[in-house]
Amino acid sequence: MTVTHDLSILSLISQASVLVQLVMALLATLSLVSWYWIFRKSFQIRQARTETERFERDFWSGGDLNTLYESASRSQAEGMERIFESGYREFTKLRAKGHDHTATLDGARRAMRATHQREIDDLEAHLAFLASVGSVSPYIGLLGTVWGIMNSFRGLSSVGTATLAQVAPGIAEALVATAIGLFAAIPAVVAYNRFAHDIDRLGIRFESFMEEFSNILQRNLR
Amino acid sequence: MSASAAAARSGARHEQRALPGKWAALGLTVAVHLALALFLFFGVRWQSPPPAALEVGLAGAPAPAAAPAARPKPTPEPRPAPKPEPKPQPKSEPKPAPAPKPEPPKPQPKPEPKPEIATKAPEKKPEPPKPQPKPTPKPEPKPQPKPEPKPPPKPAPKPAPKPAPKPEPKPAAKPLDDYMAQRLAQETLRADEARLASLMAQEGARVAAQGTTGRGAPGGDIDKYRAAIAAKVRGNLLRPPGLSGNPEAVFEVIQLPSGEVLEVRLKRSSGVAALDDAIERAIRRSSPLPLPDNRSQFQRTLELKFRPLAED
Repeated sequence: MTVTHDLSILSLISQASVLVQLVMALLATLSLVSWYWIFRKSFQIRQARTETERFERDFWSGGDLNTLYESASRSQAEGMERIFESGYREFTKLRAKGHDHTATLDGARRAMRATHQREIDDLEAHLAFLASVGSVSPYIGLLGTVWGIMNSFRGLSSVGTATLAQVAPGIAEALVATAIGLFAAIPAVVAYNRFAHDIDRLGIRFESFMEEFSNILQRNLR
Repeated sequence: MSASAAAARSGARHEQRALPGKWAALGLTVAVHLALALFLFFGVRWQSPPPAALEVGLAGAPAPAAAPAARPKPTPEPRPAPKPEPKPQPKSEPKPAPAPKPEPPKPQPKPEPKPEIATKAPEKKPEPPKPQPKPTPKPEPKPQPKPEPKPPPKPAPKPAPKPAPKPEPKPAAKPLDDYMAQRLAQETLRADEARLASLMAQEGARVAAQGTTGRGAPGGDIDKYRAAIAAKVRGNLLRPPGLSGNPEAVFEVIQLPSGEVLEVRLKRSSGVAALDDAIERAIRRSSPLPLPDNRSQFQRTLELKFRPLAED
Protein backbone atom coordinates (compact mmCIF):
# COMPACT_ATOMS: atom_id res chain seq x y z
CA MET A 1 0.00 0.00 0.00
CA THR A 2 2.70 2.35 -0.94
CA VAL A 3 0.87 5.46 -1.94
CA THR A 4 3.13 7.59 -4.01
CA HIS A 5 2.28 11.25 -3.98
CA ASP A 6 4.24 13.89 -5.67
CA LEU A 7 3.50 16.89 -3.52
CA SER A 8 5.01 19.56 -5.68
CA ILE A 9 2.97 22.72 -5.98
CA LEU A 10 2.11 21.95 -9.58
CA SER A 11 0.69 18.52 -8.88
CA LEU A 12 -1.12 19.87 -5.85
CA ILE A 13 -2.93 22.27 -8.10
CA SER A 14 -3.47 19.94 -11.02
CA GLN A 15 -4.83 17.11 -8.89
CA ALA A 16 -7.35 19.24 -7.07
CA SER A 17 -11.02 18.88 -7.81
CA VAL A 18 -12.67 21.12 -10.37
CA LEU A 19 -14.33 23.46 -7.93
CA VAL A 20 -11.12 23.91 -6.00
CA GLN A 21 -9.32 24.65 -9.24
CA LEU A 22 -11.94 27.21 -10.13
CA VAL A 23 -11.54 28.83 -6.77
CA MET A 24 -7.80 28.93 -7.20
CA ALA A 25 -8.10 30.47 -10.65
CA LEU A 26 -10.52 33.09 -9.37
CA LEU A 27 -8.23 33.93 -6.51
CA ALA A 28 -5.23 34.15 -8.80
CA THR A 29 -6.97 36.66 -11.04
CA LEU A 30 -8.17 38.61 -8.01
CA SER A 31 -4.62 38.73 -6.77
CA LEU A 32 -3.32 39.90 -10.14
CA VAL A 33 -5.92 42.64 -10.46
CA SER A 34 -5.52 43.81 -6.90
CA TRP A 35 -1.76 44.02 -7.24
CA TYR A 36 -2.23 45.97 -10.45
CA TRP A 37 -4.39 48.50 -8.64
CA ILE A 38 -2.09 48.58 -5.68
CA PHE A 39 0.74 49.74 -7.90
CA ARG A 40 -1.37 52.17 -9.90
CA LYS A 41 -2.89 53.75 -6.84
CA SER A 42 0.43 54.12 -5.14
CA PHE A 43 1.84 55.86 -8.22
CA GLN A 44 -1.17 58.11 -8.45
CA ILE A 45 -1.22 59.09 -4.79
CA ARG A 46 2.49 59.75 -4.74
CA GLN A 47 2.18 61.93 -7.80
CA ALA A 48 -0.75 63.88 -6.32
CA ARG A 49 1.21 64.48 -3.14
CA THR A 50 4.35 65.76 -4.85
CA GLU A 51 2.34 68.03 -7.13
CA THR A 52 0.38 69.36 -4.20
CA GLU A 53 3.57 70.14 -2.34
CA ARG A 54 5.03 71.88 -5.36
CA PHE A 55 1.90 73.99 -5.82
CA GLU A 56 1.73 74.95 -2.15
CA ARG A 57 5.32 76.14 -2.35
CA ASP A 58 4.54 78.24 -5.42
CA PHE A 59 1.32 79.58 -3.99
CA TRP A 60 2.68 80.69 -0.64
CA SER A 61 5.82 82.14 -2.15
CA GLY A 62 3.67 85.17 -2.90
CA GLY A 63 3.36 85.16 -6.71
CA ASP A 64 0.66 86.95 -8.59
CA LEU A 65 -2.68 85.08 -8.62
CA ASN A 66 -3.17 85.71 -12.32
CA THR A 67 0.17 84.27 -13.33
CA LEU A 68 -0.44 81.30 -11.02
CA TYR A 69 -3.76 80.79 -12.72
CA GLU A 70 -2.14 80.94 -16.13
CA SER A 71 0.39 78.28 -15.29
CA ALA A 72 -2.23 76.17 -13.50
CA SER A 73 -4.59 76.12 -16.45
CA ARG A 74 -1.73 75.07 -18.68
CA SER A 75 -0.33 72.39 -16.41
CA GLN A 76 -1.57 68.83 -16.33
CA ALA A 77 -1.14 68.55 -12.59
CA GLU A 78 -3.89 67.21 -10.42
CA GLY A 79 -4.80 67.88 -6.84
CA MET A 80 -4.56 71.26 -5.27
CA GLU A 81 -3.71 73.06 -8.49
CA ARG A 82 -7.03 71.95 -10.00
CA ILE A 83 -8.91 73.28 -7.00
CA PHE A 84 -7.17 76.61 -7.25
CA GLU A 85 -7.76 76.80 -10.98
CA SER A 86 -11.50 76.11 -10.78
CA GLY A 87 -12.03 78.44 -7.82
CA TYR A 88 -10.12 81.33 -9.36
CA ARG A 89 -11.82 80.92 -12.73
CA GLU A 90 -15.27 80.97 -11.12
CA PHE A 91 -14.21 83.98 -9.02
CA THR A 92 -13.02 86.05 -11.99
CA LYS A 93 -16.08 85.15 -14.06
CA LEU A 94 -18.54 86.08 -11.33
CA ARG A 95 -16.70 89.26 -10.53
CA ALA A 96 -16.70 90.26 -14.22
CA LYS A 97 -20.49 89.79 -14.31
CA GLY A 98 -20.79 92.16 -11.37
CA HIS A 99 -22.33 89.87 -8.77
CA ASP A 100 -22.17 91.00 -5.18
CA HIS A 101 -19.38 89.90 -2.92
CA THR A 102 -21.09 87.09 -1.08
CA ALA A 103 -22.47 85.61 -4.27
CA THR A 104 -19.04 85.72 -5.91
CA LEU A 105 -17.37 84.11 -2.92
CA ASP A 106 -20.08 81.46 -2.64
CA GLY A 107 -19.77 80.63 -6.29
CA ALA A 108 -16.01 80.28 -6.03
CA ARG A 109 -16.33 78.08 -2.96
CA ARG A 110 -18.88 75.85 -4.63
CA ALA A 111 -16.64 75.44 -7.64
CA MET A 112 -13.67 74.58 -5.42
CA ARG A 113 -15.72 72.12 -3.41
CA ALA A 114 -16.89 70.37 -6.54
CA THR A 115 -13.34 70.05 -7.83
CA HIS A 116 -12.16 68.91 -4.43
CA GLN A 117 -14.72 66.15 -4.38
CA ARG A 118 -13.85 65.12 -7.90
CA GLU A 119 -10.17 64.97 -7.07
CA ILE A 120 -10.76 62.92 -3.94
CA ASP A 121 -13.08 60.64 -5.83
CA ASP A 122 -10.43 60.21 -8.48
CA LEU A 123 -7.89 59.27 -5.88
CA GLU A 124 -10.25 56.91 -4.13
CA ALA A 125 -11.34 55.10 -7.27
CA HIS A 126 -10.79 51.34 -7.07
CA LEU A 127 -9.95 51.46 -3.40
CA ALA A 128 -13.26 49.71 -2.76
CA PHE A 129 -12.06 46.90 -4.99
CA LEU A 130 -8.97 46.47 -2.82
CA ALA A 131 -11.17 46.47 0.24
CA SER A 132 -13.43 43.76 -1.10
CA VAL A 133 -10.53 41.62 -2.24
CA GLY A 134 -9.03 41.97 1.19
CA SER A 135 -12.16 40.94 2.99
CA VAL A 136 -13.61 38.36 0.62
CA SER A 137 -10.74 36.40 -0.83
CA PRO A 138 -9.96 34.56 2.43
CA TYR A 139 -13.55 33.35 2.41
CA ILE A 140 -13.30 32.23 -1.19
CA GLY A 141 -10.12 30.37 -0.38
CA LEU A 142 -11.82 28.85 2.63
CA LEU A 143 -14.66 27.69 0.46
CA GLY A 144 -12.21 25.91 -1.81
CA THR A 145 -10.49 24.35 1.17
CA VAL A 146 -13.69 23.16 2.77
CA TRP A 147 -14.84 21.69 -0.48
CA GLY A 148 -11.54 19.93 -1.04
CA ILE A 149 -11.53 18.50 2.48
CA MET A 150 -15.12 17.38 2.07
CA ASN A 151 -14.11 15.51 -1.03
CA SER A 152 -11.13 13.86 0.52
CA PHE A 153 -13.21 12.71 3.50
CA ARG A 154 -15.94 11.45 1.25
CA GLY A 155 -13.34 9.40 -0.59
CA LEU A 156 -12.21 8.12 2.78
CA SER A 157 -15.62 6.81 3.68
CA SER A 158 -15.40 4.16 0.98
CA VAL A 159 -12.17 2.80 2.38
CA GLY A 160 -12.33 0.39 5.28
CA THR A 161 -9.18 1.30 7.08
CA ALA A 162 -8.28 4.91 6.75
CA THR A 163 -4.74 6.06 6.82
CA LEU A 164 -3.34 9.51 6.91
CA ALA A 165 -1.86 8.87 3.49
CA GLN A 166 -5.30 8.78 1.98
CA VAL A 167 -6.46 12.06 3.44
CA ALA A 168 -3.32 14.12 3.56
CA PRO A 169 -2.88 14.86 -0.15
CA GLY A 170 -6.47 15.98 -0.50
CA ILE A 171 -6.15 18.27 2.45
CA ALA A 172 -2.88 19.65 1.17
CA GLU A 173 -4.50 20.39 -2.17
CA ALA A 174 -7.41 22.04 -0.48
CA LEU A 175 -5.23 24.16 1.72
CA VAL A 176 -3.48 25.60 -1.30
CA ALA A 177 -6.73 27.44 -2.00
CA THR A 178 -6.63 29.11 1.40
CA ALA A 179 -3.01 30.00 0.89
CA ILE A 180 -3.73 31.71 -2.39
CA GLY A 181 -6.69 33.52 -0.84
CA LEU A 182 -4.53 34.83 1.96
CA PHE A 183 -1.83 35.83 -0.46
CA ALA A 184 -4.36 37.90 -2.35
CA ALA A 185 -6.00 39.34 0.75
CA ILE A 186 -3.08 40.46 2.87
CA PRO A 187 -1.49 42.92 0.45
CA ALA A 188 -4.90 44.22 -0.52
CA VAL A 189 -5.83 44.99 3.08
CA VAL A 190 -2.49 46.59 3.85
CA ALA A 191 -2.61 48.69 0.70
CA TYR A 192 -6.20 49.71 1.29
CA ASN A 193 -5.47 50.96 4.78
CA ARG A 194 -2.42 52.87 3.69
CA PHE A 195 -4.08 54.45 0.69
CA ALA A 196 -7.15 55.46 2.67
CA HIS A 197 -4.93 57.14 5.21
CA ASP A 198 -2.91 58.95 2.57
CA ILE A 199 -6.03 60.15 0.76
CA ASP A 200 -7.55 61.39 4.00
CA ARG A 201 -4.51 63.49 4.69
CA LEU A 202 -4.51 64.87 1.16
CA GLY A 203 -8.21 65.70 1.52
CA ILE A 204 -7.55 67.61 4.72
CA ARG A 205 -4.82 69.60 3.00
CA PHE A 206 -7.18 70.40 0.14
CA GLU A 207 -9.88 71.60 2.52
CA SER A 208 -7.63 73.84 4.51
CA PHE A 209 -6.28 75.27 1.28
CA MET A 210 -9.84 75.99 0.18
CA GLU A 211 -10.53 77.91 3.37
CA GLU A 212 -7.34 79.88 3.13
CA PHE A 213 -7.86 80.64 -0.54
CA SER A 214 -11.41 81.83 0.20
CA ASN A 215 -9.98 84.27 2.68
CA ILE A 216 -7.55 85.58 0.10
CA LEU A 217 -10.32 85.97 -2.45
CA GLN A 218 -12.45 87.82 0.08
CA ARG A 219 -9.59 90.19 0.75
CA ASN A 220 -9.22 90.73 -3.00
CA LEU A 221 -12.88 91.78 -3.28
CA ARG A 222 -12.54 94.75 -1.00
CA MET B 1 -21.69 75.45 -17.10
CA SER B 2 -18.21 76.59 -17.85
CA ALA B 3 -17.15 75.00 -14.59
CA SER B 4 -18.62 71.71 -15.63
CA ALA B 5 -16.91 71.99 -18.97
CA ALA B 6 -13.65 72.65 -17.26
CA ALA B 7 -14.29 69.70 -15.00
CA ALA B 8 -14.94 67.49 -17.97
CA ARG B 9 -11.71 68.71 -19.50
CA SER B 10 -9.73 68.12 -16.38
CA GLY B 11 -11.30 64.69 -15.99
CA ALA B 12 -10.23 63.80 -19.52
CA ARG B 13 -6.76 64.97 -18.70
CA HIS B 14 -6.66 62.71 -15.66
CA GLU B 15 -7.51 59.68 -17.71
CA GLN B 16 -4.68 60.43 -20.07
CA ARG B 17 -2.23 60.99 -17.28
CA ALA B 18 -3.02 57.66 -15.68
CA LEU B 19 -1.74 55.80 -18.70
CA PRO B 20 1.99 55.76 -17.99
CA GLY B 21 1.39 54.34 -14.51
CA LYS B 22 -0.70 51.61 -16.05
CA TRP B 23 2.12 49.85 -17.81
CA ALA B 24 4.49 50.19 -14.92
CA ALA B 25 1.82 48.78 -12.64
CA LEU B 26 1.16 45.89 -15.01
CA GLY B 27 4.84 45.04 -15.21
CA LEU B 28 5.29 45.23 -11.47
CA THR B 29 2.22 43.07 -10.89
CA VAL B 30 3.51 40.38 -13.19
CA ALA B 31 6.92 40.64 -11.55
CA VAL B 32 5.46 40.16 -8.08
CA HIS B 33 3.52 37.09 -9.08
CA LEU B 34 6.40 35.64 -11.03
CA ALA B 35 8.62 36.09 -8.02
CA LEU B 36 6.10 34.34 -5.82
CA ALA B 37 5.72 31.49 -8.27
CA LEU B 38 9.47 31.06 -8.55
CA PHE B 39 9.76 31.08 -4.80
CA LEU B 40 7.14 28.38 -4.51
CA PHE B 41 8.87 26.27 -7.12
CA PHE B 42 12.44 26.58 -6.02
CA GLY B 43 12.45 28.11 -2.57
CA VAL B 44 10.08 25.76 -0.86
CA ARG B 45 11.08 22.17 -0.60
CA TRP B 46 7.99 20.21 -1.42
CA GLN B 47 7.91 16.56 -0.68
CA SER B 48 9.07 15.02 -3.90
CA PRO B 49 11.43 12.17 -2.99
CA PRO B 50 10.02 8.71 -3.19
CA PRO B 51 9.01 6.57 -0.25
CA ALA B 52 8.47 3.00 0.84
CA ALA B 53 7.97 0.61 3.64
CA LEU B 54 10.06 0.55 6.70
CA GLU B 55 13.37 -1.01 7.19
CA VAL B 56 15.76 0.71 9.44
CA GLY B 57 19.21 0.18 8.09
CA LEU B 58 21.50 1.23 10.82
CA ALA B 59 24.95 1.47 9.45
CA GLY B 60 28.21 3.03 10.42
CA ALA B 61 27.33 3.55 14.02
CA PRO B 62 30.62 3.34 15.87
CA ALA B 63 33.82 3.72 13.97
CA PRO B 64 35.24 0.17 13.98
CA ALA B 65 32.03 -1.53 13.19
CA ALA B 66 31.25 -0.21 9.78
CA ALA B 67 32.56 -3.10 7.71
CA PRO B 68 32.09 -6.12 9.99
CA ALA B 69 28.38 -5.55 10.17
CA ALA B 70 27.59 -8.44 7.90
CA ARG B 71 30.27 -10.75 9.22
CA PRO B 72 29.70 -10.78 12.93
CA LYS B 73 28.02 -14.14 13.26
CA PRO B 74 30.93 -16.47 12.70
CA THR B 75 32.73 -14.90 15.60
CA PRO B 76 30.14 -15.52 18.29
CA GLU B 77 32.02 -18.67 19.26
CA PRO B 78 34.12 -17.38 22.05
CA ARG B 79 36.40 -20.41 22.35
CA PRO B 80 37.85 -20.52 18.86
CA ALA B 81 39.16 -17.03 19.09
CA PRO B 82 41.54 -17.50 21.99
CA LYS B 83 42.73 -20.94 20.99
CA PRO B 84 43.85 -20.37 17.45
CA GLU B 85 46.92 -18.43 18.41
CA PRO B 86 48.44 -20.74 21.00
CA LYS B 87 47.70 -23.91 19.06
CA PRO B 88 49.25 -23.07 15.73
CA GLN B 89 52.61 -23.60 17.40
CA PRO B 90 51.91 -27.17 18.44
CA LYS B 91 50.70 -27.90 14.95
CA SER B 92 54.00 -27.20 13.38
CA GLU B 93 55.12 -30.81 13.81
CA PRO B 94 57.15 -30.39 16.93
CA LYS B 95 54.26 -32.24 18.53
CA PRO B 96 55.36 -35.78 17.85
CA ALA B 97 58.67 -35.39 19.69
CA PRO B 98 57.58 -33.58 22.88
CA ALA B 99 55.83 -35.37 25.70
CA PRO B 100 52.73 -33.10 25.99
CA LYS B 101 50.56 -35.53 24.15
CA PRO B 102 47.29 -35.02 25.93
CA GLU B 103 47.20 -31.38 25.02
CA PRO B 104 48.42 -31.48 21.44
CA PRO B 105 45.74 -33.80 20.16
CA LYS B 106 42.97 -31.38 21.00
CA PRO B 107 44.60 -28.39 19.49
CA GLN B 108 45.15 -30.12 16.18
CA PRO B 109 41.52 -30.51 15.30
CA LYS B 110 40.61 -27.04 16.40
CA PRO B 111 43.17 -25.12 14.45
CA GLU B 112 42.08 -26.85 11.29
CA PRO B 113 38.45 -25.92 11.55
CA LYS B 114 39.29 -22.33 12.15
CA PRO B 115 41.14 -21.72 8.97
CA GLU B 116 38.23 -23.35 7.24
CA ILE B 117 35.88 -20.91 8.82
CA ALA B 118 38.01 -18.05 7.77
CA THR B 119 38.23 -19.16 4.20
CA LYS B 120 34.79 -20.58 3.83
CA ALA B 121 32.96 -17.93 5.72
CA PRO B 122 33.26 -15.20 3.15
CA GLU B 123 31.98 -17.44 0.40
CA LYS B 124 29.21 -19.07 2.31
CA LYS B 125 27.60 -16.08 3.86
CA PRO B 126 26.52 -14.22 0.82
CA GLU B 127 24.75 -17.27 -0.61
CA PRO B 128 22.27 -19.08 1.57
CA PRO B 129 22.46 -22.50 -0.15
CA LYS B 130 26.09 -23.07 0.82
CA PRO B 131 25.49 -23.83 4.47
CA GLN B 132 23.98 -27.16 3.45
CA PRO B 133 26.99 -28.38 1.55
CA LYS B 134 29.23 -27.67 4.50
CA PRO B 135 28.02 -30.39 6.80
CA THR B 136 28.59 -33.09 4.18
CA PRO B 137 32.06 -32.11 3.04
CA LYS B 138 33.40 -31.66 6.52
CA PRO B 139 32.78 -35.13 7.82
CA GLU B 140 34.83 -36.55 4.96
CA PRO B 141 37.91 -34.41 5.32
CA LYS B 142 38.03 -34.89 9.05
CA PRO B 143 38.35 -38.62 9.18
CA GLN B 144 41.23 -38.46 6.76
CA PRO B 145 43.38 -35.96 8.57
CA LYS B 146 42.78 -37.50 11.95
CA PRO B 147 43.98 -41.01 11.27
CA GLU B 148 47.09 -39.82 9.53
CA PRO B 149 48.46 -37.28 11.94
CA LYS B 150 47.47 -38.99 15.13
CA PRO B 151 48.89 -42.44 14.64
CA PRO B 152 52.42 -41.26 13.92
CA PRO B 153 52.75 -39.05 16.99
CA LYS B 154 51.37 -41.61 19.40
CA PRO B 155 53.57 -44.55 18.60
CA ALA B 156 56.68 -42.43 18.56
CA PRO B 157 56.25 -40.83 21.96
CA LYS B 158 55.19 -43.99 23.78
CA PRO B 159 58.30 -46.01 23.28
CA ALA B 160 60.80 -43.24 23.98
CA PRO B 161 59.65 -41.42 27.15
CA LYS B 162 58.66 -44.02 29.75
CA PRO B 163 58.19 -41.85 32.84
CA ALA B 164 55.40 -39.73 31.55
CA PRO B 165 53.77 -42.04 29.04
CA LYS B 166 51.51 -44.09 31.33
CA PRO B 167 48.87 -41.48 31.88
CA GLU B 168 49.08 -40.52 28.26
CA PRO B 169 47.59 -43.54 26.54
CA LYS B 170 44.28 -43.19 28.35
CA PRO B 171 43.89 -39.51 27.67
CA ALA B 172 44.97 -40.04 24.13
CA ALA B 173 42.16 -42.50 23.46
CA LYS B 174 39.60 -40.34 25.16
CA PRO B 175 40.73 -37.19 23.40
CA LEU B 176 40.10 -38.90 20.13
CA ASP B 177 36.50 -39.60 21.05
CA ASP B 178 36.12 -36.19 22.60
CA TYR B 179 37.65 -34.87 19.54
CA MET B 180 35.12 -36.35 17.24
CA ALA B 181 32.32 -35.33 19.49
CA GLN B 182 33.63 -31.85 19.78
CA ARG B 183 34.22 -31.59 16.12
CA LEU B 184 30.79 -32.83 15.32
CA ALA B 185 29.30 -30.38 17.71
CA GLN B 186 31.39 -27.65 16.25
CA GLU B 187 30.43 -28.62 12.77
CA THR B 188 26.75 -28.52 13.51
CA LEU B 189 27.19 -25.29 15.38
CA ARG B 190 29.12 -23.83 12.55
CA ALA B 191 26.59 -24.96 10.01
CA ASP B 192 23.79 -23.39 11.99
CA GLU B 193 25.71 -20.28 12.42
CA ALA B 194 26.68 -20.13 8.82
CA ARG B 195 23.05 -20.44 7.88
CA LEU B 196 22.14 -17.76 10.35
CA ALA B 197 24.93 -15.62 9.12
CA SER B 198 23.84 -15.96 5.54
CA LEU B 199 20.31 -15.04 6.50
CA MET B 200 21.48 -12.08 8.46
CA ALA B 201 23.82 -11.04 5.72
CA GLN B 202 20.98 -11.06 3.26
CA GLU B 203 18.68 -9.21 5.49
CA GLY B 204 21.17 -6.83 6.91
CA ALA B 205 23.13 -4.30 5.01
CA ARG B 206 24.71 -5.67 1.87
CA VAL B 207 26.80 -2.63 2.32
CA ALA B 208 29.87 -4.09 3.88
CA ALA B 209 30.91 -6.93 1.64
CA GLN B 210 34.53 -7.21 2.69
CA GLY B 211 34.29 -7.99 6.33
CA THR B 212 37.56 -8.76 7.97
CA THR B 213 36.75 -11.57 10.33
CA GLY B 214 40.09 -11.14 12.06
CA ARG B 215 38.91 -9.41 15.24
CA GLY B 216 35.70 -11.23 15.37
CA ALA B 217 34.75 -10.74 18.97
CA PRO B 218 34.51 -6.94 18.97
CA GLY B 219 32.82 -6.93 15.59
CA GLY B 220 30.20 -9.35 16.83
CA ASP B 221 29.46 -7.33 19.90
CA ILE B 222 29.27 -4.13 17.97
CA ASP B 223 27.02 -5.75 15.49
CA LYS B 224 24.76 -7.03 18.19
CA TYR B 225 24.77 -3.59 19.70
CA ARG B 226 23.92 -1.98 16.44
CA ALA B 227 21.25 -4.53 15.69
CA ALA B 228 19.73 -3.94 19.10
CA ILE B 229 19.56 -0.21 18.52
CA ALA B 230 18.16 -0.67 15.06
CA ALA B 231 15.54 -3.09 16.27
CA LYS B 232 14.44 -0.82 19.05
CA VAL B 233 14.26 2.29 16.93
CA ARG B 234 12.54 0.45 14.13
CA GLY B 235 9.97 -0.81 16.56
CA ASN B 236 9.17 2.73 17.57
CA LEU B 237 9.06 4.14 14.11
CA LEU B 238 5.70 5.14 12.72
CA ARG B 239 6.24 5.34 9.04
CA PRO B 240 4.78 8.48 7.50
CA PRO B 241 2.41 7.86 4.65
CA GLY B 242 3.16 8.23 1.03
CA LEU B 243 6.79 7.24 1.02
CA SER B 244 8.33 5.83 -2.07
CA GLY B 245 11.83 4.97 -3.19
CA ASN B 246 14.58 4.63 -0.69
CA PRO B 247 15.49 7.89 1.00
CA GLU B 248 18.27 7.75 3.51
CA ALA B 249 18.53 9.87 6.59
CA VAL B 250 21.55 10.22 8.84
CA PHE B 251 21.10 11.19 12.45
CA GLU B 252 23.60 11.99 15.10
CA VAL B 253 22.50 10.85 18.51
CA ILE B 254 24.14 11.92 21.71
CA GLN B 255 23.40 9.55 24.56
CA LEU B 256 24.17 9.36 28.22
CA PRO B 257 26.13 6.41 29.55
CA SER B 258 22.80 5.03 30.70
CA GLY B 259 21.63 4.96 27.10
CA GLU B 260 19.24 7.83 27.50
CA VAL B 261 19.01 9.97 24.43
CA LEU B 262 20.26 13.44 25.12
CA GLU B 263 20.11 14.98 21.72
CA VAL B 264 19.07 13.95 18.25
CA ARG B 265 20.46 15.90 15.39
CA LEU B 266 19.58 15.52 11.75
CA LYS B 267 22.80 15.32 9.80
CA ARG B 268 21.42 14.49 6.41
CA SER B 269 17.77 14.74 5.61
CA SER B 270 15.99 12.00 3.76
CA GLY B 271 14.32 14.73 1.77
CA VAL B 272 11.00 13.96 3.37
CA ALA B 273 10.41 16.20 6.32
CA ALA B 274 7.72 13.93 7.70
CA LEU B 275 10.04 10.96 7.60
CA ASP B 276 12.82 12.89 9.29
CA ASP B 277 10.45 13.89 12.04
CA ALA B 278 9.15 10.37 12.39
CA ILE B 279 12.65 8.96 12.72
CA GLU B 280 13.64 11.56 15.22
CA ARG B 281 10.55 10.83 17.28
CA ALA B 282 11.28 7.14 17.07
CA ILE B 283 14.81 7.68 18.33
CA ARG B 284 13.58 9.76 21.21
CA ARG B 285 10.94 7.23 22.06
CA SER B 286 13.61 4.55 22.07
CA SER B 287 15.35 6.23 24.95
CA PRO B 288 17.06 4.63 26.78
CA LEU B 289 18.82 2.92 23.94
CA PRO B 290 20.08 -0.60 24.46
CA LEU B 291 23.59 -0.78 25.85
CA PRO B 292 26.38 -2.84 24.38
CA ASP B 293 27.44 -6.03 26.16
CA ASN B 294 30.94 -4.79 26.05
CA ARG B 295 31.03 -1.48 27.83
CA SER B 296 34.15 -0.46 25.99
CA GLN B 297 32.11 -0.15 22.87
CA PHE B 298 29.86 2.47 24.32
CA GLN B 299 30.03 5.78 22.52
CA ARG B 300 28.43 8.98 23.55
CA THR B 301 27.74 10.03 20.01
CA LEU B 302 26.30 7.59 17.59
CA GLU B 303 25.76 8.09 13.93
CA LEU B 304 22.63 6.32 12.83
CA LYS B 305 21.78 5.80 9.21
CA PHE B 306 18.19 5.04 8.39
CA ARG B 307 17.09 3.70 5.11
CA PRO B 308 13.45 2.70 4.94
CA LEU B 309 13.45 0.17 2.13
CA ALA B 310 10.36 -0.75 0.23
CA GLU B 311 9.14 -3.91 1.86
CA ASP B 312 5.65 -4.20 0.55
